Amino acid sequence: MTLREILQYSLWFLLYLVLQILILRSIVLFDYAFCFVYIAGILLLPAEVNRTLLLILGFLTGLLVDVFYNTLGMHAAAAVLIAYLRPFWIQIQLETKGTTERLEISMTELGIGGYLTYLLPLVFIHHAALFLIEMSHFGMIGYTLLRIVASTLFTTFLITVIQLFSKR
Amino acid sequence: MFQLVEFFSRNRNFIFFVLLEVFSFWLIVQNNSYWSATYFNTSNYYVAKVLTVSNSIREYAHLREINENLAQENLKLNSLVARLQEQNPVNAPAGYKPDSVFASRFEFIVSKVIMSETSRPNNYITIDKGSAEGIRPGMGVISATGVVGKVKLCSEHYSVVTSILHSQFMVSSRLVRSGEIGPVRWLSKDPTVISMMDVSRYKKVIRGDSAVTSNFNSVFPPGIMVGTVRKVTIRPDQTFYDIDLNVATDFASLSYVYVVQNNLQPEQEALQKPLDEERR
Repeated sequence: MTLREILQYSLWFLLYLVLQILILRSIVLFDYAFCFVYIAGILLLPAEVNRTLLLILGFLTGLLVDVFYNTLGMHAAAAVLIAYLRPFWIQIQLETKGTTERLEISMTELGIGGYLTYLLPLVFIHHAALFLIEMSHFGMIGYTLLRIVASTLFTTFLITVIQLFSKR
Repeated sequence: MFQLVEFFSRNRNFIFFVLLEVFSFWLIVQNNSYWSATYFNTSNYYVAKVLTVSNSIREYAHLREINENLAQENLKLNSLVARLQEQNPVNAPAGYKPDSVFASRFEFIVSKVIMSETSRPNNYITIDKGSAEGIRPGMGVISATGVVGKVKLCSEHYSVVTSILHSQFMVSSRLVRSGEIGPVRWLSKDPTVISMMDVSRYKKVIRGDSAVTSNFNSVFPPGIMVGTVRKVTIRPDQTFYDIDLNVATDFASLSYVYVVQNNLQPEQEALQKPLDEERR
């Protein structure tokens, strides 16, 4: 990674966090669809990023969001989980595609289909972990599952829209 | 030995991942220790400053409702003053004279809400007054429209309040018309509905009846609105009603709240403490 790229990714990271903390904290659609767009900062980093660095980034991002949400530890746990699973998922994707080593993860590189198949499962895992940890009693399981699905769609949609605006 | 080192270096990311997860879950589980209560939540000075900025934008959109609530409250207070001038203690028998210290045991601290949420399984509210203004954890919080919650943590100038929309929060309430008393708690679903428990099915409960805080609270003054009865259902195998209440407080436009300071609470608790220990 060049210095210019590092700066670029850092700025995106900051933008996602500011968006999450200032605006999306108070946006919920129909009581079900939440938006945790900040994970895009971790998921859309280039494929060659060091795993240890990813884990640290994931943890710190989750922790920062936790402080603003009064849920110390929950976002951190979910973000670390996807930061850990991400490299494996990329590997599987590359093998099925049979392509050579790729650097960037973006719409232009992967195409819409590949981009969504990369993003959706990871967003789903993150949201599932988060909502299941937060669930206060087991009677809410159906309600929680609905929330997970709705929020996954909402978050993925928003990440995609932001991606479309950022012509890299 | 060499193999052990090699094993660790090969699996270092997995081990690191497990450590971070364990640490995160440890944070979730303890969540009340001193250092986390002091720095890692929305009562942190810098975090609260950021929230204040984003709240000031939200406030513009709700100014009309806030004014309406304040006007409503003025109306309520005026009628209360009139009633108090006419008759001293309401609904008490003739010989009852309240102790003047007891009658004036509640003091209120006005505070502004800088963060309020309703959509999560456990909701909190952050307000812009803290220990410097005399707020302590455990105090009740009310608004112009009804009960809001209980103070959980304080920093010097900010406090985090456990909202009534929290799975662990209970408030003892009384139905005005039927006089029945029972705890009210939220079942973590719809943010406009809370449930009242332990009301016997052999009593009459009317839809639209108001639930107010009962005299059994040491945290809230009696008679503060909790909600109105929305739905009463009976399950054949239960001895109690399932009562759904509409929440009185409108959390979406919540802007000014009153922290309730009960000057006699320490005394009351000291008196009741031996009883609690005896029961154990």
